[in-house]
Amino acid sequence: MASPLRSLAYLLPQIWRALKQGPRTVKYPFGPAELPEGYRGRVVIREENCRGCNMCVRDCPAFALELERNGRDAYRLIYHPERCAYCGQCELSCNFDAIYLSNEFVPGEPDRADLSVVLVNKEGKEDTSA
Amino acid sequence: MSKITVPIGPQHPLLKEPLAFSLTLEGEHVIESAMRLGYVHRGLERLSQERTYVQNVHLFERVCGICSHIHSTTFCQGVEALSGLEVPPRGLYLRALLCELERIHSHLLWLGVQARNIGFDTIFMYAWRDREIILDIMEDLSGGRVSHAVNIIGGVRIDLTPEHRDVILGQLDTLETQIEALLGVVENESSFQGRTRNIGTLSLEQIRRYCVVGPVARASGLDMDLRRDMPYPPYDQLKFRVPVRYEGDAWARTLVRMLEMVESVHLCRQILTTLPDGPTSARAKRRVPPGEVVSRAEAPRGEVIYYIRSDGSDKPARVKVRTPTLTNLITLPDQLQNISMADVSVVISGVDLCIACADR
Amino acid sequence: MLLKLLVFPGFLFLFVCALFFDWVDRRMIARFQGRVGPPWYQPVADFIKLLAKEDILPTGANPLTAAALPMISLAAVLTAGLYIPFGTISTASFEGDLIVVLFLLSLPALAYFLAGWISVGVYSVLGGSRALLQYFSYEVPFLMALAGPAILSGSWSIAHIVDYQGQTIWIALMQPLGFVLAIIGLIGKLKRDPLDIPKAKSEVVAGSLTEFSGRKLALWHLTMNMQTVVGIFLLVNLFLGQSSVFGTIPAFLSFSLKSVGILLLLSTASALYARLRIDQLATLGWRVLAPLALVQILVATWIGG
Repeated sequence: MASPLRSLAYLLPQIWRALKQGPRTVKYPFGPAELPEGYRGRVVIREENCRGCNMCVRDCPAFALELERNGRDAYRLIYHPERCAYCGQCELSCNFDAIYLSNEFVPGEPDRADLSVVLVNKEGKEDTSA
Repeated sequence: MSKITVPIGPQHPLLKEPLAFSLTLEGEHVIESAMRLGYVHRGLERLSQERTYVQNVHLFERVCGICSHIHSTTFCQGVEALSGLEVPPRGLYLRALLCELERIHSHLLWLGVQARNIGFDTIFMYAWRDREIILDIMEDLSGGRVSHAVNIIGGVRIDLTPEHRDVILGQLDTLETQIEALLGVVENESSFQGRTRNIGTLSLEQIRRYCVVGPVARASGLDMDLRRDMPYPPYDQLKFRVPVRYEGDAWARTLVRMLEMVESVHLCRQILTTLPDGPTSARAKRRVPPGEVVSRAEAPRGEVIYYIRSDGSDKPARVKVRTPTLTNLITLPDQLQNISMADVSVVISGVDLCIACADR
Repeated sequence: MLLKLLVFPGFLFLFVCALFFDWVDRRMIARFQGRVGPPWYQPVADFIKLLAKEDILPTGANPLTAAALPMISLAAVLTAGLYIPFGTISTASFEGDLIVVLFLLSLPALAYFLAGWISVGVYSVLGGSRALLQYFSYEVPFLMALAGPAILSGSWSIAHIVDYQGQTIWIALMQPLGFVLAIIGLIGKLKRDPLDIPKAKSEVVAGSLTEFSGRKLALWHLTMNMQTVVGIFLLVNLFLGQSSVFGTIPAFLSFSLKSVGILLLLSTASALYARLRIDQLATLGWRVLAPLALVQILVATWIGG
C-alpha cells in the first residue's frame, strides 16, 4: 500500500492544474446557454410543406402531437411540449420535410395549458361548387 | 452490545436511485441485511405491448439513463434479426462508437460516485469534469447529452463528416490524458486504497453460483466479455483486450473499470479511423414477421438480454428485458455480511447499481 | 473592558472572523476542485436562513437539553477565545490560561456526543458514538503536541509563550513534529475532511445534528465555525507567534496572514485525502501520533530544561 506522502506526488499536480485552469462550470443561468447546432430542442414546422398526413402523430412515442381534422384541407396540428420526449422521431417520419427540431431550449411555464402550441392552422378553401 | 436497525433508503445520500435496505448493526458491524426493490418500476414491458416498434425504440431507451443507447441497440438488433434486415457496416460502426463512448461515460460517472461515497470529493469533481468531455462529444454527434435517440430499426440516423471525425479524435486525446492521470491517482493514493482494499470480496465460486456478469465478475477472475466471446457485429472486426483482476474486492472493481475505460478509448479510435463508407441505415418495414428472438449485448454493467416475440403485427407481443444489475444485486447480502458501517457505502456503490435498469 | 469583551477582540470580531474563515475555506476547496465556490455573503445568508426556519425535534427528545447544548458549546468556545491574544491585544490573560483554554475547547466535543444521544434517531446515535471514539483518538496527541511550546518556553500562559517566540524564533521551526501533530489534531477536533467521520454524509446522513433544525442548528454551525477560528488562533499563537523577523509589519497584519495561511493548509488537507474509517483513525491516533507526540515532549524537555 502506498504511503500517504507518495500519494501527494500524484494528486498535487492535478490540484495545481485545476487552480491554473480555473472553474470549469457553465455560467447558465447567469450567462447565455451555449447549445450546439444539432441539439434537439423545440419542435417547429414549415407550414407550407405540411400536408396533414398524420405520420408524425402516429409515430410519436410520447403522444405529444395531435391532429384535428375539419375537412380535406382544414386541419390543426397541436404540439404539447410538456409531453414531448425530444427524440426526433417526428422529423424522421415526415416525408415532406415539414416538421423538424430546432435547437431552442424549452423553458417552463407556471400553467400547463400555456405550453401547448398550435403548429399548423389551415382553414381550407370555401366550397364553391354549386 | 445492543442491536440497532439502520434503514438505508429509499432516500439516502449514498444512493443514486431508490433502493431500500434494512441493516441490523451490533456496534459498528453489520450482522443482517434485508433488501427491497421496486421503487422505480414503471411497467415498461407492458407499455411496450401497446406501442409500435418504431415507438418502442424510444421507449426502451428510457429504461436507464446511463446505459440508454445499449438498450435501444439491443432492441433494434433483435427486431432486425426478426425482420431479416441487414444493417450496413457504417451504421454498425457508428452504433458501436456510441456504445463505447457510453461505456466511458458510465465508468467515469461511477468513479465519481464511488469517490464521493468514501469522502474523496476531489476525485468526484475531477471525474465529473472529465465526463463533460464525453458529454460534449455525444452532444455534437447526436444532439443530446444523455438520451441520444440515435438508433432506428435498420441502422442509425446520424452521420459523420471527416472534419467532425478529426475533432472527435482530438477530444479523445485530451480525454485519454485525463483518464491516465486519474488512473495514476487511484492506483497510488493510500487513503483510497485503505478504504477499498479487502472490502466486499467475492470469490470465483460465488460469482459462478449467482451468475454475476460484467466488471464485478471480471474483478474476481471470471474472464468473460460478450464483445469478445460471442461477438455481435462490428466487434468481430475490432481488436481489444479485456482487463481481468483476481482479488475480487472493491479495489479490483475500481481498477477493472478504469482499465476498461482506457480500452474503450482505443476502441473508439479504431472505429473512427477504420469507418467504412456507405449508407448508415436500411429501410425497415413497419410490420415484423412472426417469430421470437433473443438479443444480447455488453452493457457497461454486464450482459443485457432482450427476448422479443412478434405475432406479425406492428406491435410486439412480448418484450422481456433482463438487465445486468438484477443479477449483481443478489450478491449484496453476501457482501454486506460482517462489515463495518463505514464500508457499507463502498460495497453498495462498488457493485454499480442501476436500479432503473433492475426495476424497469 | 465591556467593549473589548463584546466587540474587539471579543464576540463581534470572532463572529465576523468565523463567517469569513468559513467563506475562505469553502471557496478554496471549490477552486481546488475546479468549481467556482460560494460568493462572500454565503455564510451570512446561511446563518440568517437557518434562523428563520422551523424548529422541530423528534418525539422522545428532551427539548430543554436540545436547546441548552448548542448554547453551552457556543459559550465554551467564546470563553476560550477570550484568553487567546490577537496580535498584541488580548482581553484577559493569566498564568495557566492555556490549560483553561484546552479544557474549554474540549467541551463542544462532549456536547456534540450528547446532542446525538438525546435526539432519538438512529443516525444521530451512531454519529454521536463515532464522535466520542474520534475524540479519544485525537485528543491525547493534540494535548501533548500543545504542551511542547509550554515546556519549551517555561510558562503555561499563552501571552508569555508569544513573548518567548518574540525573543527567539517560531516554535514551529524549533518543534516541526509538534506543529504537524497539532495540525492533525486540529483537523480531528474540527471534524473536517479527512477526519469528518462523525458527520460522514454517505454513511450517517449528518451525524449528531441530523434531527436539529432552525435556530439550534444555526447555533451549532456557528459553534463549529468559531471553533475553527479559535483553534487556528491558538495554533498561530503557540507555534507561529511574534517573531523579530516580522518586526516591521504591524502585528495585526502578520497575525491575519498567518491565520489565513494555516486555514489554506487545512483546506488543502481537506482536498487531498479520502475519509478515514474509525478503526483506521484509532490505529493512527494511538500507534503513530501518540508515540510521536511523546518523542516530541521528550525532545522539548531536553532542549528547554
